[in-house]
Amino acid sequence: MVKGAFPIFRRDMRVMRRSIFSELLAVVAYPLTLYFAFGIGMKGYIGTVEGVPYPVFIAPGLISMTAINAAFDESAWSMWFHRRVQRTIEEYRTAPITVYDIVIGKIFSGFMQGAIKGLAVAAVILLITSFRVEAANLASYLFFIVLGSMIFSCIGTICGTMVDKPENIGRIQAVVIVPLVFMSGIFFPLSSYPPALLPFIKLVPTTAIFAGARQSLLQGGVDGGYAANLLVTALVAFVAAVQTFNRKMAE
Amino acid sequence: MRRDSLPGTVLPPGSTDGGSMTDMSVDIRSVSKWYGSLAAVDRFSLEARQGSIFGLLGPNGAGKTTLIRILTTLIRPTTGEAFIEGCSVLSEAKKVRALIGVVPQENNLDRYLTARENLELHARMHGMRSADYRRQVDALLELTGLANRQHEFPDTFSGGMQRRLVVARALVHRPRVLFLDEPTTGLDPQSRRAVWDYVRDLQREMTIFLTTHYMDEADALCDRIVIMDKGRILEDGSAGELKERFAHAHGYELQFRTGLDRYAELLGRLPFVTSLVRNGEALRVTLRGEEFLKPLLDAVGTDDLKGVCLREPSLEDVFIELTGREVRE
Repeated sequence: MVKGAFPIFRRDMRVMRRSIFSELLAVVAYPLTLYFAFGIGMKGYIGTVEGVPYPVFIAPGLISMTAINAAFDESAWSMWFHRRVQRTIEEYRTAPITVYDIVIGKIFSGFMQGAIKGLAVAAVILLITSFRVEAANLASYLFFIVLGSMIFSCIGTICGTMVDKPENIGRIQAVVIVPLVFMSGIFFPLSSYPPALLPFIKLVPTTAIFAGARQSLLQGGVDGGYAANLLVTALVAFVAAVQTFNRKMAE
Repeated sequence: MRRDSLPGTVLPPGSTDGGSMTDMSVDIRSVSKWYGSLAAVDRFSLEARQGSIFGLLGPNGAGKTTLIRILTTLIRPTTGEAFIEGCSVLSEAKKVRALIGVVPQENNLDRYLTARENLELHARMHGMRSADYRRQVDALLELTGLANRQHEFPDTFSGGMQRRLVVARALVHRPRVLFLDEPTTGLDPQSRRAVWDYVRDLQREMTIFLTTHYMDEADALCDRIVIMDKGRILEDGSAGELKERFAHAHGYELQFRTGLDRYAELLGRLPFVTSLVRNGEALRVTLRGEEFLKPLLDAVGTDDLKGVCLREPSLEDVFIELTGREVRE
């Protein structure tokens, strides 16, 4: 089943390679601006959060945010563009591959772009700031980036499949993705929420992505609850993306 | 299941001639496609022989593209069944897609890949190894005159070049049946002729199933033509046969000294005029019968009439006669 996904994934990687420098520049600029504006600008006022200097507190979240935003953007816009503008999805569908091959190829492209762009931001933050991490913690941190990118690639694929007007993708980003990202503790500790609300906030997958990733990177280890949350969400998102695409193509 | 490759396989209901079925490249059996209460294709049946150029003619909304989308497995029929080279479009869609090449109505090239990369991606999706497709891609780029621009992006090509690239892409995996959905729409006369030449060359190797609303295209290319409208077959035969069948259609050309618009309006209102086409300074009319010639001349009078001549029917007359005069959206 996945054999047919490989040419599509390879095509997307080839296209990304062509414009990698300009894309990375654009992708890195946004989180770096946030890092400098909040991490450096607010440093004197905030000092430390939960015993961690504020710039160090927000850095893991900014890297994760870059990865999941890139995964969502790539999957949503690519699927929409190939389906509605270029109509290349139709060309793929007249080849002897299945709709599962097409959607899996697209999900993996989005995931890979998210992961690459997240790592690029991490590299830049490490290079130009005093932010440092334990090498031993990187593997567990990557686990969260990979699952986060996969989930948002699937969500992007669902949007790109369902949405016919491009402006609606921007609206979904503004109304759903941005609140989910910003309310999940990138810039503030989860302990700021009322205690009664906290158990529910911890169930939100973006909380698992940001809080789990920060915990892994700064303290080491993988929080079992967050990991289970992301694994289940990734599985559900993947099945939903494949089924949504399959149903849309059958219309 | 491929009926021609499995001895003893039972033919689907409706088969009339087991021996000749293996010659059939496209076999459509009572296919219907309904969108709510609208029948886009209505109990449509036909067979096209291997190695033929088959033309499907019809006005906008006749159901041509829906039929092609069913045959290329992009949509499923509501009822009925169709076979491509013996493979069912319903139960063996993947096998069908390996056998067909598709040139859609709108160019769907990947503008972020070069011309060559577009062909290579297609080859890889058909499971071809690079050793197999490289030479084929070279040959097709040469054949379509795009070899010297193979590393450029399709956006930089003219409409004709893009169309040739789409045709080349459809041929990379050496299909047995090539579907061309209005292949020359929007092209200049030179590019149209070039596409026709490719199509004629291809006939030796594969069956070609094309839809068009250009009568000259159908006349020049097709061995067999089906005219369809409202999802149904209206006529079926070679271009010559169709014209012959409609030789009874009493066609006349009326030339006027002046007042062409006024006479066109007048003739359009006459109940026995079945078609009316303006041809330069003359009006071409088709009458319901020979007996209506006198009422026609009575209606137009002799004041401005310069001449009347009997006219041989063209494929366009046949088309207009069958599908009517009104403009379709």
